[in-house]
Amino acid sequence: MFKGMPKAFWIGLGLIYGWAGFFMILEWTIPSFPLYRFLGVPACWIYNCLLACFVINIFVAWFFAYSEEIREQKLAEQKKG
Amino acid sequence: MGADPIVIFGACLYFAAIIAIGWFTRTAAADATDFYVAGRKIGPFINGSALAATYFSPATFLGMPAFIFMISYPFWWTLSGIIAGMPVATLLTAAPMRKYAPTSFTDYYADRYDTKWMRLACSIPTIIGGFAYVILSIVGTALSMVAILKVSYLVSVILAAAVVFIYIFWGGMVATTFSTALQGVIMTVATLIAAGVIIAHYGGLTGLTDAAISSNALYFMTPHANPKTSHPLMGMWTGMVGFYFIWHYGFATMPYTVVRFFTAQDIKAARRSVTWAIIVGGAMYVGLIVIGTSAKVLIEQSHPLMGTEGIKNAVGVLAHMKKTYAIGTASVTDYSMFAITESLKMPWLMAWIVAGGLSIAMSTAAGWTMVLNVVLGRDLIGKVFGSKWPDEKPIQVMRIMTFVVIFISGLLSIDPPALVLDISGSAFLVIICATAPALVLGIWWDRSTKAAAYVTIIVMSIVSGGSWLYAFYVQKSPHWFFLSDPANKIPTPHQFYWIPIAFLLFIVVSLMTKPPRKEVIQKYCLDIRPEQPKK
Repeated sequence: MFKGMPKAFWIGLGLIYGWAGFFMILEWTIPSFPLYRFLGVPACWIYNCLLACFVINIFVAWFFAYSEEIREQKLAEQKKG
Repeated sequence: MGADPIVIFGACLYFAAIIAIGWFTRTAAADATDFYVAGRKIGPFINGSALAATYFSPATFLGMPAFIFMISYPFWWTLSGIIAGMPVATLLTAAPMRKYAPTSFTDYYADRYDTKWMRLACSIPTIIGGFAYVILSIVGTALSMVAILKVSYLVSVILAAAVVFIYIFWGGMVATTFSTALQGVIMTVATLIAAGVIIAHYGGLTGLTDAAISSNALYFMTPHANPKTSHPLMGMWTGMVGFYFIWHYGFATMPYTVVRFFTAQDIKAARRSVTWAIIVGGAMYVGLIVIGTSAKVLIEQSHPLMGTEGIKNAVGVLAHMKKTYAIGTASVTDYSMFAITESLKMPWLMAWIVAGGLSIAMSTAAGWTMVLNVVLGRDLIGKVFGSKWPDEKPIQVMRIMTFVVIFISGLLSIDPPALVLDISGSAFLVIICATAPALVLGIWWDRSTKAAAYVTIIVMSIVSGGSWLYAFYVQKSPHWFFLSDPANKIPTPHQFYWIPIAFLLFIVVSLMTKPPRKEVIQKYCLDIRPEQPKK
């Protein structure tokens, strides 16, 4: 199952689910964790709204696309050679 | 209260732009490939923006702010979960599907499982869910016009259906793609402008946070860590996890987004279009979090209806709007975006929000209509029942099917039966449970079998839809586990646990049944996966 799936996929999933899982567990164990201050604002605006909802996902999608373009480039060079 | 001229001007400008796209792309839909999959010529940005606009339903834009203020902070994870599901599609389905390059959503099922009847099997939940989505989208479009432009509901439904029909009729997938891409940009810009105005209004994110807490002391209370939680649905971790995952895999597997991977100009464009979809859709979701967090306090502090006619809180304002506009199909939450914007008292902002509301509703209606007309016209009439009509006159068939889909949906939108609305609520879950395992494991597991695909589609359609409706009627909400003890309910949003169970069922039945032919595995599994360079 999932034979041939690029390693980048599993790295990306690890980042997405690791990030969400880690912060959800902190929220379930530390009272008022979302309101801890970070960079001058309540931390949830940074780790959830900005990073989990936006930046990390853009990075992972870019990483997937970029790593595949590198693989295709290598493949094309091999075929030429 | 009449409509503001600036708002009317903004709506007219929007309709003119959408109709113009249909008119100018009519010559681009010259043959069947153009009409079905936009000639496979769409670049990453246009395809990505269209992906985002198609994927998000009107309930997202119109109702999400209300869900954020009612369920409060833990619901933020729902929005993060939806966007986090988008990158997963890049390698899981977008690249393999574009490499395989089908015309219709059902092509892969028929080819991979080696029978034309698989088209019929996967079409049934798709058609039922698809019609429900088109109806809801037309209702959402009409709602925007009734609430803001102050035209009658009937006129609004006819206008919404007519505009969607016109641009699909002229330009097929080409017009749908370009208009949807524009709609994606409009809805995101509208949301970000509103979010920016709100942040400025409260003097920054800290001010906004304090305002939210002042209006609801439980707003940031999460399960287990706090003695009280923000909402009963967030009383246990299953509520947060369930809401994170319920819409998470839709982007990679739902028919109306998967078909957009076919329209990309090549595999590279299909992958990059996902990144653009996240930029457009993710930005909108960040804006929605800001808007939703401010919703309660903003409406209660500034809405013109507060304090009148005995209205004491934000829910009272929404309930009053629902009563005033008397659209039986709409829930109170559907008025939240308009109520927030009315509280800000800026007509130019309302013009953007109206355009955003129309955009998100019409793009979903158009996306589903394209899925339905190809499934009904090309796949069922032509491929399953053997008529030569779709091969001989493909564009004529598509245009007639577009009329049929829009006409039936428009008619049902005038006074939707309650069951249609109930079905639409469960449609997302049912379609994913029924069709996603056969798609994802069909690509990535050689051992996936025809029998497993049939069993999963039939069994999961029944159990997921049945349990959703049972919870809806007996537990009074689809978000409680359907067999919960009424005195001690367990939150399982939209019965999300059926999704992993569907994959498990598919695996078990595949292992118990006859493997597919080697040629099928080679062509529809191995050949569409990434080719690795030699070490």
